[in-house]
Amino acid sequence: MNKIWIVFQKEVVDSIRDYRSWSTGLFWALFGPILMGGMLIMIGSSVRDDIEQPLHLPVQNPENAPNLIRFLEQHDVVIEPVPSDPEAAIKQADLNVVLVIPAEYGENFSSGKTATVQLILDSTRQPARVDIARIQNLLQSYSTHLGTLRLVVRGVSPELIWAVDVEEVDVATPQSQATLLISFLPYFIIFAIFNGAAPIINDTTAGERERQSLEPLLINPVPRRNFVWGKLFAAFPFSLGNLAITLMGFGIVFNVLPVEEYLGVRISLNILTLISIFLICLPIIFFASSIQILVASFARSTKEAGTYLPFIALMPSLPGLALAFFPVKPELWTMLIPTFGQQILINQFMRLEPINLSNAILSSVVALSSSVAIIFIAVKLYEREQIVIRKS
Amino acid sequence: MIQVEGLSKSFGKVKAVQNVSFSASDGQITGLLGPNGAGKSTTLRMLYTLLKPDHGTARIDGFEVTETPLEVQSHIGVLSDAQGLYPRLTTRENIRYFGRLHGLSGEELERQIDQLLMMLDMQLIADRRTEGFSTGERLKVAIARALVHDPGNVLLDEPTNGLDVKSTRAMRQFIRRLRETGKCILLTSHIMQEVAALCDHIVIISSGIVSAQGSPAELLRKTGKDNLEDAFIEAIGSEEGLQ
Repeated sequence: MNKIWIVFQKEVVDSIRDYRSWSTGLFWALFGPILMGGMLIMIGSSVRDDIEQPLHLPVQNPENAPNLIRFLEQHDVVIEPVPSDPEAAIKQADLNVVLVIPAEYGENFSSGKTATVQLILDSTRQPARVDIARIQNLLQSYSTHLGTLRLVVRGVSPELIWAVDVEEVDVATPQSQATLLISFLPYFIIFAIFNGAAPIINDTTAGERERQSLEPLLINPVPRRNFVWGKLFAAFPFSLGNLAITLMGFGIVFNVLPVEEYLGVRISLNILTLISIFLICLPIIFFASSIQILVASFARSTKEAGTYLPFIALMPSLPGLALAFFPVKPELWTMLIPTFGQQILINQFMRLEPINLSNAILSSVVALSSSVAIIFIAVKLYEREQIVIRKS
Repeated sequence: MIQVEGLSKSFGKVKAVQNVSFSASDGQITGLLGPNGAGKSTTLRMLYTLLKPDHGTARIDGFEVTETPLEVQSHIGVLSDAQGLYPRLTTRENIRYFGRLHGLSGEELERQIDQLLMMLDMQLIADRRTEGFSTGERLKVAIARALVHDPGNVLLDEPTNGLDVKSTRAMRQFIRRLRETGKCILLTSHIMQEVAALCDHIVIISSGIVSAQGSPAELLRKTGKDNLEDAFIEAIGSEEGLQ
């Protein structure tokens, strides 16, 4: 135990002085929050721009429908003249949507027939969709408003024309409405843990071999398992730091940015949620370090290890990506896959869903015991004489 | 005290060491002399427990290398072929790490480190990080960390390899001083002159087999030659490896 502590101390001091290694790891801790913060701001500003600003609508022959124009102007629409070829302007994406009022509009309207107006639009153009939806809604509500008035004037209850009324009951809590965005979060947290440990482990295992210091080290009267454990533990502070930093980053992004205003939903990543996520991720720190130690011990150089480790970091994140598109219920079997169970639990914490305690315990026990098994293999590897003979 | 009996080791079909026997006594410098690839380093590696012999036994101060490897390791100081240091640690920190792994600590350890720094004339580089050290400076650090626990047996694999004339002289001086303290010193070399200049007992090894051994005088008598160079060539049966 004492020898493990000695190895741990040396590797931590050595790694802290390796400024480049841990700062690379730190970058990945900040990557998730910065990326998500940026995405939120972008989504927020585009949504806000479209809704809060008045809608500039080119209208052909506005004089044909003065009442409709007044209605639109009351609803924050700025009427603009139409260029000579409106369809071409739409095709070239100079305009989002154009309203055309035909000459016979007034005549049809006055005689109680259905008066037709035209919207010229390109339904495949994404940026135009907000404008198109707004004007469609406005025209629809103008039509409904007038129709209702006409029925009332004729002594008919407007309810007669509503044979079926559809009421939407939305069960999504504000948090789960932003699920798609949020479900990337577990991915980034796991990624930060793996990448916090990766550069450190690369240096203490593959680097030790590359520097030719492994052989002198192993001649010391210390059982080899102690070296493996010491090097394993030395990676913990760095992945633990990365986990804390990335969670703080997400906490800041979701609490400082006016996410509610941006997305129209309320997201709370409060202190209690963050602490719960931190705790549920602790076994992953063990798992990430042990599997990376095993892989890096096969590598002959830091360069070789540097090509393997990113794949290791990506693999456990794949279920997280899948989770973003195919939500999985927290069933028992999902807890048996290290990192997958944790990602589902993180998702539950963020959605403020009740957590099944046995799921939390099971996922932790599985992650911890598979880590011990992996370290057992790594120790066996270190006890073979090939660990020294194989050279770069 | 090192006793080797019938040591053999193969890597696949290559018989690296075959039935090697010799002993090295305390207060003496014993040299394993042989051309490159003769099996000197493999023999040494079996002695410092990194390789397991296929056959035979080796005892260091009475401890068998495969049965009690940790005991063996605490009774030897090794300068192996691989001499990598930790470039981000200072000289002192490099030595201290190995000292602590040997179970030393506190005042005792620091005193031992200071003594080694003085003996090897490296006080000036004591608190510098070892990154960018010259070959000679790196070798000194490697020797200091190998001897930090004051072992009774010292195993040196090609100790003057890559050194300039001045450093080589200093290194030989240092090895003789170690002998004066009563340690058992076993070194390997492919340079006949080096072994002749240093060793009390010479083991000539070629193609994994001991071809002759004894004191310089005994070797001359056995081979019937009047100088060691000829005796060496006679023993290994060719001029291979001669410098």
